[in-house]
Amino acid sequence: MRAFLIAVAVLAALALLPLAVAGGYLLHVLVVIFIFVILAVGLDLVMGYCGQYSFAQGAFYGIGAYTAAILHRDLGFGFWQTLPSGIVAAGLFGLLLGIPSLRLSGHFLAITTIAFQTIVYLLLTQWTSFTGGQYGLPVPKVGALTLFGWELFRVETVRDFYFLALGCMAAAIGVAWRLAHSRIGRQWQAIQDDELLARAIGVDVTRGKLVAFVASAGLAGAAGVLLAHYLQGVSPDDFAIWTSATVVAMVLAGGRASIVGPILGAVLFTAMPEVLRSAQSYKLVIYGVVMILVVSFLPGGIVGLLRRERRA
Amino acid sequence: MYTLDFALQILANGIVIGSVYVLVALGLTLIFGILGIVNFAHGEFYMLGAYFGITAAAIYGLSLFPLLLVGILGVVLVGLLSERLVFRPLAGGDMTSSIITSFGLAVALQNAALIAFGPQPKLLRTPWAQIPVEIGPVFMPLQRALIPVIALVLVVAVHVVLRHTWTGRSLRAMAQHGTLAQLYGVDVKRVAVVTFAVGAALAGGAGVLMSSVFLVQPTVGNMIALKAFTVVILGGMGNVYGAVSAGLFLGIAETFVAGYLTNTLRDIVGFALVVVVLLIRPQGLFGRAIDRA
Amino acid sequence: MSLLVCEGVTRRFGGLVAVDAVDLAVGEGEIVGLIGPNGSGKSTMVNLVTGVLPPSAGRIRFAGRDVTGMPSWRVARLGIARTFQMLRLFKSMSVRENVALALHPKLDGGLLGSALGLARPAAADRDARARADALLDLFGLAALADRPATALSIGQQRMVELARGMIVEPRLFVLDEPAAGLSPPNVEKLIELIRAMRDRHGITILLVEHVMKVVHALCDRVVVLDYGVKIADDDPDAVARDPRVVEAYIGGARKADDAGAG
Repeated sequence: MRAFLIAVAVLAALALLPLAVAGGYLLHVLVVIFIFVILAVGLDLVMGYCGQYSFAQGAFYGIGAYTAAILHRDLGFGFWQTLPSGIVAAGLFGLLLGIPSLRLSGHFLAITTIAFQTIVYLLLTQWTSFTGGQYGLPVPKVGALTLFGWELFRVETVRDFYFLALGCMAAAIGVAWRLAHSRIGRQWQAIQDDELLARAIGVDVTRGKLVAFVASAGLAGAAGVLLAHYLQGVSPDDFAIWTSATVVAMVLAGGRASIVGPILGAVLFTAMPEVLRSAQSYKLVIYGVVMILVVSFLPGGIVGLLRRERRA
Repeated sequence: MYTLDFALQILANGIVIGSVYVLVALGLTLIFGILGIVNFAHGEFYMLGAYFGITAAAIYGLSLFPLLLVGILGVVLVGLLSERLVFRPLAGGDMTSSIITSFGLAVALQNAALIAFGPQPKLLRTPWAQIPVEIGPVFMPLQRALIPVIALVLVVAVHVVLRHTWTGRSLRAMAQHGTLAQLYGVDVKRVAVVTFAVGAALAGGAGVLMSSVFLVQPTVGNMIALKAFTVVILGGMGNVYGAVSAGLFLGIAETFVAGYLTNTLRDIVGFALVVVVLLIRPQGLFGRAIDRA
Repeated sequence: MSLLVCEGVTRRFGGLVAVDAVDLAVGEGEIVGLIGPNGSGKSTMVNLVTGVLPPSAGRIRFAGRDVTGMPSWRVARLGIARTFQMLRLFKSMSVRENVALALHPKLDGGLLGSALGLARPAAADRDARARADALLDLFGLAALADRPATALSIGQQRMVELARGMIVEPRLFVLDEPAAGLSPPNVEKLIELIRAMRDRHGITILLVEHVMKVVHALCDRVVVLDYGVKIADDDPDAVARDPRVVEAYIGGARKADDAGAG
């Protein structure tokens, strides 16, 4: 209950922020943070809760973004159509990647997800006739959001988009929170702890893992659609393995299986290079070192540290 | 173009590339088989070997063999540091933690290389690149023709060490039964150090050799690591001789796909293969089925 | 009518036959002991009955249904609970969570429902917690309910496993060496608990046990395995006098480790 109130208070403050701040730059950084929060919270479901190593969150992000771009190009879809399409397309590929997880674990699964991530990236760069290759594809602004013919909201400026991204992030966190704290979330933890025992008490491990992969990929797909409309275009380099690595680092450093942890991780890792301009080029080196250090010295991430402090 | 000569030329190119895959995969499979670690940074060892070679060539103008030595020694140093700082703190614990740390190491090394060496692709040039060699209808520069020869020497050296030395015996004991080997007094720390040194040496050597064939960029390790994973999985995880056959197989298969079909398919073929193999036969094409019930 | 019927059940690992054409029947409300020297195939038999391993040949029927080759989670949902020879508890969860979680599969809601918060699981969850607490009280673990499960002593962890099985009100409870690692007073307590499970809750029990005292005190009937073959199936006293059983225990003590263990 207290967590819920804090969440509502933070979201309300964020919703009021554009009234107080004129600068587009801060809003821009926050939009990027919101998108990464969706990615990280999504990855937390499969990696933090269900314990399945996935280095393919960047690929699902890309599948969402390119679904939006291609469906706009070929069918003239607008945001209301691209958003669910991107979620569904990424979710289906999540299902596809979930299948190996039924037979493979640990290292083998990690390799498979890296191979998947690389294949998707290679297709985005090389299948030029379909994806536009290195140049990518254009995507329109969101523009007018209508419901049954009524115009709800017009998304033209960064400020407009800020509200849209904030709403999407709030919804994504809500969905992830519900999933993690429902029975399926508890079963994910059971699967992570001891798969054989989970089966022995009647947990459908197949279903549990597939749901985790689909939900995680679906959220990444939503983040991709947002990015595509925000940048008004897609290009493959946003969806390389580095993006997956960054999201993994966010989840680990924040603290896995906590929802709050990945949010903190996303904020920290997006804001840090913005604040420390000189750190910009060292960014990925730092992410790599953070991964090593966190695993060795701080397995619970920031959230684990805070919990320990509170208990002490 | 569909002549026998063309096919032979492609075969020769495939053997050159395949023997480099063998070297990288061999280290990867040794580290996995003996220590239970999948080193996701292995491609970065290869990449650093290439850069050490190119840098030494640019500064000192050395010929191939001294360059090879520089590349190997430099990467062995990096390998030992990685073992000490990244992997040893996890020893005895859950080895799946090494998935994240070695991935983190790969990210860090690759981007450090980007800062140190820049993004422009580079190529190793030694005088031997100008000397042509003709074997029947097959034609290639001496430097390239030496790659399979040197690879063969290195593989034989590893074989001899594994089969006929005390160190090799402790390594194999660890691979077959870690806990039992420890009970019989095998020094686990030393085994880990030697394994990483050998693995890094092979990858570093491969990097120097290949930097005269493929352009070198900081990201080149990604691709080569995935190729090596493909080889290791095809050959059976931890299976040294499986890695040799699978490495040559992948190299030849790729050059034939690139030569007869299209170059863009070349990379995707290998990964598609690995996903299929993992799903159907996780123990690999050349590996034996092990019932771990 | 028999609740569990195994007919000619065989399991091979490579060239090794761990369980060889075993017939085993457990009647409703019976306590049946399954004993044998190390490596005789007891653990493999448990894994076959609970669906962890599919049999290489033979059929298994439970409550009139063919469960041959059915995955373990479905077998569990049909009403077979089990404990493990090597204790198994969810290490990241508290004692209460370990016990309450076993009820979840019975309450399973859909993905969409859980995500949208439409299926209000709160009431069911409260109920699960209450039932877990009641059982923990019965097993003398109430004070430890919030402790991490793996922080408990071996004896206490065994009790948690029993509570985890009991909470789903199974029709058949397979106990894999429940007395292993228990002190003598705790063994007495265990015997009382198992007897109460059958007498008061009507749970049928298949008991794999090394401690002969437990077998004698509880079992209506004892099945003996040796080298994967059933060599006796009779009441406990008759089995103890059977020369083949005596021979198996004396001659079989030095055999290799159980291929189906774990």
